Amino acid sequence: MSLSADLSGTKGAVHAHRPTGTAMAQDRGRPRVSRLGLILVAPALFLLSCFFLAPVVLTGVFAFTNMSTSTGIGAGEYVISPNLLDDLADAGLSEEVVTAISAETYEITPDGIEAARAGGVSADFLRDIEGLLLGDGFDTARGIETALRGLPSAPRSPRSLKLTAEFFGHSVLNQRFDSAQELTEALSLAVPDVDAGIRSEIVGASYTGAIYTTENFTYLATQPSTMRLVANTVIYVGATLSIFNVGLGLFLAITLFYMPKRVSSFYSTLWLLPRITPLVLYTIMWKWFTWEDGFLPLLAEQLGLPAFNYMKGSVITAWMTMISVNGFVGASFGLILFSGAIRAIPTQQLWASEVDGATRWQQIRRIILPQMRWPILFVVSYQTLSLLSSYESIWLTTNGGPGKTTTVWALEAFKTALSSYTGNLEYGLGAAMALVLVVVGLALSIIYLMAFKFGELVGRPRIEF
Amino acid sequence: MQLELENFTKCFDGTPVIENLNLTVGDGEMLALLGPSGCGKSTTLFAIAGIYRADGGRILFGDRDMSDLPSQRRNVGVVFQNYALYPHMTVAENIAFPLTVGKKRPPAAEVDRKVREIAELIHIEELLARRPAQLSGGQQQRVALARAIVRRPDVLLFDEPLANLDAKLRLEMRSEIRRIQLETGITAILVTHDQVEAMSMCDRVAIMDKGKILQTASPTQMYRAPVNKFVAGFLGNPPIVFMDGVVAADGMFQMGQGFTLPLPAHVRGLPLGQVITLGLRPEHFGGAGAGMASGRVSFVEPQGRETLFDVDVAPGVTLRSIQPMREDVRLGDTVNWAVDVENMLAFDANGDRL
Repeated sequence: MSLSADLSGTKGAVHAHRPTGTAMAQDRGRPRVSRLGLILVAPALFLLSCFFLAPVVLTGVFAFTNMSTSTGIGAGEYVISPNLLDDLADAGLSEEVVTAISAETYEITPDGIEAARAGGVSADFLRDIEGLLLGDGFDTARGIETALRGLPSAPRSPRSLKLTAEFFGHSVLNQRFDSAQELTEALSLAVPDVDAGIRSEIVGASYTGAIYTTENFTYLATQPSTMRLVANTVIYVGATLSIFNVGLGLFLAITLFYMPKRVSSFYSTLWLLPRITPLVLYTIMWKWFTWEDGFLPLLAEQLGLPAFNYMKGSVITAWMTMISVNGFVGASFGLILFSGAIRAIPTQQLWASEVDGATRWQQIRRIILPQMRWPILFVVSYQTLSLLSSYESIWLTTNGGPGKTTTVWALEAFKTALSSYTGNLEYGLGAAMALVLVVVGLALSIIYLMAFKFGELVGRPRIEF
Repeated sequence: MQLELENFTKCFDGTPVIENLNLTVGDGEMLALLGPSGCGKSTTLFAIAGIYRADGGRILFGDRDMSDLPSQRRNVGVVFQNYALYPHMTVAENIAFPLTVGKKRPPAAEVDRKVREIAELIHIEELLARRPAQLSGGQQQRVALARAIVRRPDVLLFDEPLANLDAKLRLEMRSEIRRIQLETGITAILVTHDQVEAMSMCDRVAIMDKGKILQTASPTQMYRAPVNKFVAGFLGNPPIVFMDGVVAADGMFQMGQGFTLPLPAHVRGLPLGQVITLGLRPEHFGGAGAGMASGRVSFVEPQGRETLFDVDVAPGVTLRSIQPMREDVRLGDTVNWAVDVENMLAFDANGDRL
């Protein structure tokens, strides 16, 4: 009896303790969120959402519209233009309907009389029109002109008659309607026997404002020029990375590593100049360097080599210029990173290899380079992202030319959306192109972060708080 | 192969750190370069390896002058303090490295055979496929040693090879390095600041201070008959105790604080009043001897097999005694122990041994 009582007492105690125990276990398992921490990261979160998330979201939204200069960014109107009619006819709208819509009808209305008065038609003539023809309608220009000629105070010349008739003309073509309903009403007046379905299709097509559409992507996917852009981008990023950022960067880092300290620090500083020069100045210097009267063509002329505007004069030289302009900036990035990585190799390791009998070349190839794998991967991944999205220096130098031979994706997106030669800025299409870049960049970032074991880098701190 | 340094001089930024150093290491001998940090022992070692260029004098391997040859052509093996293994290569590749960088690259089968042979000698056969990061300090040390001797170098150089190991491994590697050196018979130099390493591993010890070799002798010789105070003070743990005083009447030694001891027989003939320094090693106090010293025990350090005592015999004069473990003497006790006078070392005012 007493034993069972004891047992139940113990049980009770266990029950009583369980909630606290569980709460503690949960506390330990779940990362603690402190209010102070939230306050401290709030500015960063705010800036992140303002300057990164918002643009990305807006780009995503705009990418699915056909927004452009012609649509405007506000609400649009409904206009049936001759061009639209042609397009509709191509799309299968029947000949009769097209003629019916484009046909003009005439009606003598007080509004028309007022307009004619303001247009300088003589008061006598207008009084006649108002008295005899008010409310009449005519299907053709010939009909109204005949009626007008019959009036007592009609002017002699057919031209004046024609001009007067135009004040009473009435067509849905090129008229701006504020809403779909107004256009529908006008259409049912002009072409009453058109099927309601076709009519609403015409009304839909006549909308001049931006609409949501996936057409940008279908357009990009079907254009042959897209492949050309992709190829240009891949060649540009690949060549700049391999020749300059990694190739030249590594070469310089290794060469400077073996030079006396004073020499190496002088040259490292020299190689940093392109990076610290303002971009516009830097590109202007490239112009001086490569244009007709620039340094390189003048030098080439002296040597009897072909001398012309290397920046824009031929496809090959344009590509070389474009890659060099970006490459010399990128090389300094590689130089700094690789120099640091080489210096991180313990000196004893290099001594050991020399004592073991390795020549300098063997030392570079078998001791230094294999240990540069991570820095190289880092430079490649980091610089891929920045090269993919940067177009400024290309824009300021070759501007994608000659023709479109050196146009890369980012430059084309920028031009499409913000700097079109024809004046029609296609925001929607540009945003779609930018969105493609964002998606590609994100995908690459995720791959790189996985390659660098990002989770380990931001893992639990070793120091306990 | 005999190694000889002739008037070796090394400068850094124009300042000579080692001047006219002469040293000979016999064929198959292992010599320790012992000295405090900054004494120039590693500099000497790296100059022998060709990592540093000599600024004067000659470095001879046998009768070949190596002074102007780059390290690649000297055929030396070096074991560095931090092992300097190549982290991106496996153990086998590390050991094979010296074989594969030469002008005539031997066939892969031969490289493989040599690597296995060395790995067997050094007991690391089972580690060949691993990378350095997967090895313990002692194992890395063995790999570094294997890499250093795989080419059968003329001279094997050790730069503080045991400094990065824990006490137990240090003991083990001490005998391992000596065993392998004896088995291969390669002339070797060991640079160390640890007198125990130097004395236990090497045939001879050269003790260096401020860029100069003070004495070269066998470990026992050097311990018994150091040339000066520095050598006497550097060797021995716990260290020797120096007492400054003058020669007094009746073959006695007197310190300013009033403490006296009989002089060792070989310096009794000195003129009265001459300033001398006596050195008393801990093992010569507290056993048998002709002198007596009494004082209060001010420190007791039991070390297991032995016990170390500090005895204040006069104000400011503390003698040290090491004796087989005893528990009968406690801190604060007054003791009256014998001093083995004849084994005391005497130095003149310049610090040279009399």
